[in-house]
Amino acid sequence: MSFLSPWFLAGALAVAGPIVFHLIRRAARERTPFSSLMFLRPTPPRSERRSRVEHIVLLLLRCACVLLIVLGFARPFFAKDIPLPQSASGGRRLIILLDSSASMRRAGLFDKARAIAGRYLDKTAPGDQAALLTFDNQLHSVVGFADWAAWGPDQRAALARAKLATVAPGWMGTQLGVALTSASDAFPADSGAPQARVIVLISDMQEGARLDGLQGREWPPNTRVVVERVDAKTTSNAGVGMMEPSPRAVSVDDGAHVRVANSSDSTKEKFRIAWTGGASMDVYVPPGQIRTFKAPAPPKGAASARLELTGDDEPFDNTTYYAAPEVQDVTISYLGADSPDDPTKLLYYLQRVFPSAPQRRITLEAGLALRPDAALAVVPGALTGAQCAELRDWIAAGKTALIVLTNADAAPTLAALLSAADAQIAEAAGDFALLGQVDFKHPIFAPFDDPRFSDFSRIHFWKRRRWDMPPGSQARVMAAFDDGSPALAQVDVGKGRLLVLTSGWQPSDSELAVSTKFPPLMDTLLQWSGSARAARSQFRMGESIPSPAAAGAPVQWEKPDGKQTSLPAGAAYAGADMPGIYRAQWSGNERAFAVNLPLEESRVAPLSQDELGRLGVPLGADAQQVATTAPVSARQSQRAELEARQKLWRWAIGAALAVALAEIIIGGWLARGAGDARTAT
Amino acid sequence: MEKGFVDPRAVMAIRNLELRARVIVEGFWNGMHRSPYHGFSVEFTEYRPYSLGEDTRYVDWRLYARSDRYYVRRFEEETNLRCHLLVDQSRSMSYRSLDYSKADYARTFAATLAWFLNGQGDAVGLLTFDERVRDYLPPRHRRGHLRQLMLALERSLAGKSTSLGEPLRRAADLARKRSMIVLISDLLAPIEELERHMGRLAAAGHEVVIFQTLDPNELALEFPRATRLQDAESQTEFYIDPEAARVDYQRRLQQHCDAVERICRSLGFDFYRLPTNRPLDLALFDFLRSRGRRGRVVRRRTQSTAVS
Repeated sequence: MSFLSPWFLAGALAVAGPIVFHLIRRAARERTPFSSLMFLRPTPPRSERRSRVEHIVLLLLRCACVLLIVLGFARPFFAKDIPLPQSASGGRRLIILLDSSASMRRAGLFDKARAIAGRYLDKTAPGDQAALLTFDNQLHSVVGFADWAAWGPDQRAALARAKLATVAPGWMGTQLGVALTSASDAFPADSGAPQARVIVLISDMQEGARLDGLQGREWPPNTRVVVERVDAKTTSNAGVGMMEPSPRAVSVDDGAHVRVANSSDSTKEKFRIAWTGGASMDVYVPPGQIRTFKAPAPPKGAASARLELTGDDEPFDNTTYYAAPEVQDVTISYLGADSPDDPTKLLYYLQRVFPSAPQRRITLEAGLALRPDAALAVVPGALTGAQCAELRDWIAAGKTALIVLTNADAAPTLAALLSAADAQIAEAAGDFALLGQVDFKHPIFAPFDDPRFSDFSRIHFWKRRRWDMPPGSQARVMAAFDDGSPALAQVDVGKGRLLVLTSGWQPSDSELAVSTKFPPLMDTLLQWSGSARAARSQFRMGESIPSPAAAGAPVQWEKPDGKQTSLPAGAAYAGADMPGIYRAQWSGNERAFAVNLPLEESRVAPLSQDELGRLGVPLGADAQQVATTAPVSARQSQRAELEARQKLWRWAIGAALAVALAEIIIGGWLARGAGDARTAT
Repeated sequence: MEKGFVDPRAVMAIRNLELRARVIVEGFWNGMHRSPYHGFSVEFTEYRPYSLGEDTRYVDWRLYARSDRYYVRRFEEETNLRCHLLVDQSRSMSYRSLDYSKADYARTFAATLAWFLNGQGDAVGLLTFDERVRDYLPPRHRRGHLRQLMLALERSLAGKSTSLGEPLRRAADLARKRSMIVLISDLLAPIEELERHMGRLAAAGHEVVIFQTLDPNELALEFPRATRLQDAESQTEFYIDPEAARVDYQRRLQQHCDAVERICRSLGFDFYRLPTNRPLDLALFDFLRSRGRRGRVVRRRTQSTAVS
């Protein structure tokens, strides 16, 4: 057994205390009142050997208590469990984890962090394996373990420093939890005995950092995390973030809401927000709070605008951008000649289920001519051969169509659309049918995948058509009746998709149109068709911006700094690495997207290290202890780690408490026995 | 403990002093009719044949039931007995090795006597003392007097030392008429002092009965180990090995008690030793026996004096 603080063993001399006090106590003048001493003569005390034996148990317990406390303070540990002794030349694995999130853009902060990282790099021993990683919302490798191993021992520190000089803070948020867990996983596997793993976290430890993934994580026993916190010169920081526009907003003029976050260590609470070249207003946000305000009126007619906050000390999060949402024009082609006022027909219900919204204007074109730019085509029955060919080509180009089998005459049309020789469709016999199976994993039914909304069994289908799909059909049945026949099926045609509904939604066929499920089902279907997705205009750093054009010519993307990138239509843009207005141009169209900092990044008050400890992060000794590579100190550091892992002192102190309790009980029992004996005589 | 008598521990468990006394006396009276000592009573002299015209309240109906003759009991009110109870309340009386102290025992016994005598119509007075007189109630037999007497007895100990001189002198001064004086004390005082002050009472012609209350442990000196004993009154203390000191202590205590008894005999006092574990009704019986014997002795003395 070894001791981390062996000088505490000198405290074992205190065991003389109980012995001395025990002897004194034996001779202690225990006074007993007596009525009169006139008939007594003093007799000298005799040595009572019997008494000494009686109290030997108490003496031993008291001595044991003192010795156990001394043992606990000396912090014992078993040296046999020490992993392979590290040589004087090192042998540990070190990850320097540098915070490069947006909050590190504060004045002088990243330079400090870089200096600390450089110091750690300089102090690595030849036997050490080191890596330099940065993190914001994800982990980035600057110098990997493989790079380190490939370099010569004399060059490693210099080369790593050179790489370190190229690192700069970005604009992303801080995912500290993800960074720590990913860094822990980045250690290469131990080839032999476990080696000490040290993660040096250099960060501003802002309270807005996300700590996801740390709770309940099992850390390898030989891993320690050393936190090196860098502090900014100033503490008053407030940030401003633009909120998603209201669904009714169609331009910047419709107003925008902003959130202003003030750091909890801020000394200021009055700020001013102002559109660039526009109106401004004062806002009051107490330290540690986030408040929402209706922004002042932006500049007239602008598709995008920039709002700035002033009044705090740090400018990195003082700008937010706003892009007006796009108004979508969606066309649905209804290939039938029904009267729109006939409640026995499908069209009557279809034109009512798609109301227009401020950001989405829906046009329902009824007629036998197919609109090429339609988002969705609805076929209420049989079509001519030419129409079928046109529709099939249209679908194959990547469109979506829904054919409703209102009668068995639609079989040739379905066969033509599927490019099949024939389609077996017949009127189903029986009274009525209910939906027996619904595939809630299909995107159309996915919104209903909740026990509150998943009950389709109340919709009666009075009339339906039985479609016997040929063997080997690629059709995916999304909903089936209770007799197993398909109710709604999806068949891929070229790049597009054809949905087959074997019953109509009008009252003569079913209760679907009057069901509460009908409007969300049709809306989901329209969105799923791909041409009518709700278009967002506000994005956070790190998010991909979906392409505004589903097909056609490539989209030209322009970043806020003027750099341009060309991406094919339909490909999302993932290069949003700085806040600002991103512009997409395609086929003569232009659209603006705003990308903003996450507001959590503005909460820059330091996070307590205890919070990491509470989440189970194995925090290590202070930086100097770990960073130094002197053999004695390294050995001591290793011993400290070993002791901290074994925690034998807890057992010693616990045993001391148990012994003290036993001493109290036995002592009390003896004292009571003596008292009883005195009063009984 | 003697069989057939009430365990003093049970009696002392009763908190109310008056109730304690009542329990003892009533128990004593109940046992009296079955007792071979039938006929003993304070100042009970004789049965007298009933004469026509006498108050029938004094007819002993039990005797009538047995003998079919009317007899009248002659009671003590005819003798006008005045009794002074002198109760030692000094600090040495606070010693206890049982559940109760010597003072508790002495108070209870004094209360028992008072209740008993009051029940017989005697005038009972009380004088409590330590190094000086604390309470004095002259002998009376009236309503409420017994209650006052009990209250005086229930007062806690305040004294430090024992001095029999002043209390006995006061008792002799206060009892001008010939009275019965009952002294209840541990008498742990120098024998010369005791002899001097008791002689004064004898000279006044009082009937004196002395009860020396001692704790059983004062007689046995039993301690589990060597210890420092502290005098309750003088606060002096010294180390005692009970095994070594017991024989000498018991011898000297016995000498003291014998000396006290000898002085009492020489003065014509009745002397009883009352270990605190002795049943109180037995102590009451001692008192009555003393009264019976004393009555005859006094009568003889009176006769001889008259003859001379």
